[in-house]
Amino acid sequence: MSATQFDAIVVGSGISGGWAAKELTEKGLKVLVLERGKDIKHGQDYRGEHAPSWKIPFHGMPDREQNERDYFVQSSSYAFSEATRQYWNNDRLNPYVRSEEKPFDWFRSDVVGGRSLLWGRQVYRWSEQDFNANATDGHGIPWPVSYEEIAPWYSYVEKFIGVSGQAENLPQLPDSEFLPPMDYYEIEKTAKARINKKMPHIPMTIGRVAILTEEHNGRAPCHYCGPCQRGCSTGSYFSSQSSTLPAAQATGNLTLMPDQVVERLDHDASGTRITAVRTINTQTGERSIFSAKLFFLCASTLGSTQIMLNSTSEQHPNGLSNRSGALGKYLMDHLQMIHLGIMVDDVNSYYEGNRPNGLYIPRFRNLTGQDEDADFVRGFGIQAIPMRGDWQTTFNSKGFGADYKASLKKPNPMWIWALSAFSECLPQAQNQAYLHASKVDRFGIPQLATEFEWGANERALANDTGKQAAELFRAAGAVYYITNDESNMETGGGAIHEMGTARMGDDPTQSVLNKYNQAHEIDNLFVTDGSFMTSASCVNPSLTYMAFTARACDYAVKQLQAGHYG
Amino acid sequence: MNRREFLQCAAVFAAGASSIPTSWALSNEQSRFLAGQTNYIDRKPLTYFNAAQRAAVTAAAEQVIPATDTPGATDAGVARFIELMVADWFNDAERAMFDAGLADLLARANGDFAALSGKQQLQLLEQLEAEAGDAQWYNLGNVTRVWDSEAPFICQFKELTVLGFMLSEVGGTQFLRENPMGSFNGSLALAEDDSAYAAELPMRMLSAETGL
Repeated sequence: MSATQFDAIVVGSGISGGWAAKELTEKGLKVLVLERGKDIKHGQDYRGEHAPSWKIPFHGMPDREQNERDYFVQSSSYAFSEATRQYWNNDRLNPYVRSEEKPFDWFRSDVVGGRSLLWGRQVYRWSEQDFNANATDGHGIPWPVSYEEIAPWYSYVEKFIGVSGQAENLPQLPDSEFLPPMDYYEIEKTAKARINKKMPHIPMTIGRVAILTEEHNGRAPCHYCGPCQRGCSTGSYFSSQSSTLPAAQATGNLTLMPDQVVERLDHDASGTRITAVRTINTQTGERSIFSAKLFFLCASTLGSTQIMLNSTSEQHPNGLSNRSGALGKYLMDHLQMIHLGIMVDDVNSYYEGNRPNGLYIPRFRNLTGQDEDADFVRGFGIQAIPMRGDWQTTFNSKGFGADYKASLKKPNPMWIWALSAFSECLPQAQNQAYLHASKVDRFGIPQLATEFEWGANERALANDTGKQAAELFRAAGAVYYITNDESNMETGGGAIHEMGTARMGDDPTQSVLNKYNQAHEIDNLFVTDGSFMTSASCVNPSLTYMAFTARACDYAVKQLQAGHYG
Repeated sequence: MNRREFLQCAAVFAAGASSIPTSWALSNEQSRFLAGQTNYIDRKPLTYFNAAQRAAVTAAAEQVIPATDTPGATDAGVARFIELMVADWFNDAERAMFDAGLADLLARANGDFAALSGKQQLQLLEQLEAEAGDAQWYNLGNVTRVWDSEAPFICQFKELTVLGFMLSEVGGTQFLRENPMGSFNGSLALAEDDSAYAAELPMRMLSAETGL
C-alpha cells in the first residue's frame, strides 16, 4: 500500500468516535478525527452552564417560532432548551426524509463531542440473557459475541469513564466497576421499603450513571447543579469533550477537524480495502480527500449507515459491505412509556442539590424463559424519578394579591413519582433507513429516509409496563396514579437509542459486520456506533458501544501490526 | 468590558474565592460570559406598549403579585417581561387576544387603569376573572403545556406575571430561593415557612415531551 496521510481515520467525535480516537492514538497510531459539527471547547463554550432562568431568553420558555422553523425534530427532546440549543442539529439545514405514515425522530448533535454532551449518562451492562435473546426466541440473528467475551471490555471502559452505582449481584443486570452510589430521596426510601415488602421479587437500585461521586482520573466529583446537558466544565459526567478527546490529544497523535461532513468512502480496485474518505467543509464547501490504513465509522447509527449507503461502486452496488442487504434495515430504538404516581408521604422532607439520576428497576419480566402471563417476549427496565410539585403545578388558580402570592411560595405537599419504562424493541426488516431517490442536502448528498413502526410485541410490552407500573404504585402507597398503554406510544427514535442498521453476525449473508465490528467484505473498515447492534436489550446502550469500540480498536491494531493491511 | 460588567465579574470571582470550591467552579470564560450577560428583561428597549398600556400592565401585575414582606411584581420588573413576551414570544392570535383584552381593561378604567385606587383595580381584575370563569386555563393539571393558546386575556396576564416573577432574579432569590449546589442530600427537613427552590428551567419544558 502506498504511503497514507494518517494511520487511521475516525468519522465522528461522539461517544464511539471519542473512544476510537483515544484507543488508536494511545496505541501509537496517527489518527484523524473528522467531525461534521462545529468546534466547541470544553468548559469555555458551555454557554448555558449554570445560567439562571433570568439570563436565558424568554426566561427559558421555548422559542416556538425558531423551533418550528429550524429545530422541528430536535426541539421535542427533553434535553433541548434555549440553554442547549447550540449543541443540536439544525433540521432545516441538515434535513432527512421523515415518513409521515411511519415517522422516526432522528435526534442529532452538531458539535465536537456529539451527543456525548447531551446523553442521559445512564450506563448498564448487558446480561448473558441479552446476548442470547435472538438465538433463544428466534427474532433477529444470533449475536456473534457472548457476555463472557465482552465483560472485560466493559470493565476496561468503566474504569476510565467512572460509573457510580450499587453492586446488586443480579444475573439480569451485571454489576459494573463502581464508584460510590448517589444518595436516595426520603420518598424513594419509603417507596422502596414498601415495594420490597409487597413485591419482593422486584429489585430496585440507584441509577448507574457515568457521573463521578469522587475524584476520578483527574476529573472532579459532581456538584449536583442538575442539568448536565448544558455541559459540565468540571468534566464530572463522561463526554468525549471531558475525557476521551483530551486523552487522545495528550498522545500528540490526534488531528481533529470539525466542519467536515463525510460524503463517501473510496476503495481500491479489489473492493476489499478502503483507501480514502471524501469530505466537504460545511462552512466553505471545499472538498477534500484523506487517506489512511484503517477507517472507523462512528458517525452515529444513521450517520454511518448513510455514508455506507452512499459509497456505492461496481463491487458494492448496494452500499459498502452490503451483499446481505441488511445495511439500513433492522432499525431499532427503545420504547419509552411514562407512568405517573402521586405520593403524599415524606412531604416534610426536602433536598439540597439536584441529583441528575433516578432509581432503576431492572428487568423483572420473562427472566427465566417466558412468564406465564406475558403475551410478549423480552422485557423492560424502569427509571424512576421523583419530582416535587411547586408553583408551577398550582399557578392556574383563581385569585389575586397576597393570598395568591402566598399560595405559590412553598413546595406542594406531594411528590410526583414518574416511572419511565424502556422496553426492548425487536429487529424488523421493514423498520429501515435508505437513501431517498431524488432529495439531496445542501452539499448534494442524498438525504436519508426513514420508516419505522412499533410491532405487536412492543405494543404488548407497552401495555404490560402500564399494568406493572400500576402494581408498583399501589405497593409504594401512591394515592393516585395515571398509566399509559399502546394508545399513547412515543414516536420511534424518541428514546434516542437508535441502533441496528449495520448489524453484526457470524453469517455474512445476513449481516454487515463480523464479531469485531469489521465489515465482512472490507477488512480495514470498522463500524462501532449503534449501527452494529444485532438486538436492543432494554438497557441504555452507550456503555455497550464504548466496550465494543475499545475491543474493535484492539483487534484492528493487532491486525495492522501483524501486517494484514500492508 | 464596561464598568458594570467589570463589577459583575469581580463579584463572581469574589464569590468564587470565598464560597465556591474551585473543583466545581465554572471555567473563567463561562464565568465572564454569564457575568457579562444582562438579564433577559434588560437586554433591549421596550417599544410595544404606549405609556398608558405600560402603566396599566405594571399596576395590574402588582395586583397579581404585590410586594408584601417580600418583593412583588414591580420590584422584579415583571411588566418588562410581559411587554417583551407579548411583542416577541406570542404568536399573532395570542397577541391579538392580549391586545384586545388590554384595550378592554383600559376602557373599563376610562383609559387610565393605573390611576384607579388599588381596590378599584382589584375589583376590575376580579370581574375579568369571574367572566373567564369556565376557561379551560383553570382546569386541574392544565399546567404542563408550553402555553394555553385559548387562554383569555386575564389568564394570559396572570400566567405571564407568574413566569415573569418566579423566573426573575428578584423572584428566584428573594421570594423563592436558590438550591445550593455542592452535594446532594435527599433527606432534609422542610421548615414551616421554607420556600420552594427557584426553577432552573420551567417544568413545562420537561413536560412537553413526557406528557406529564
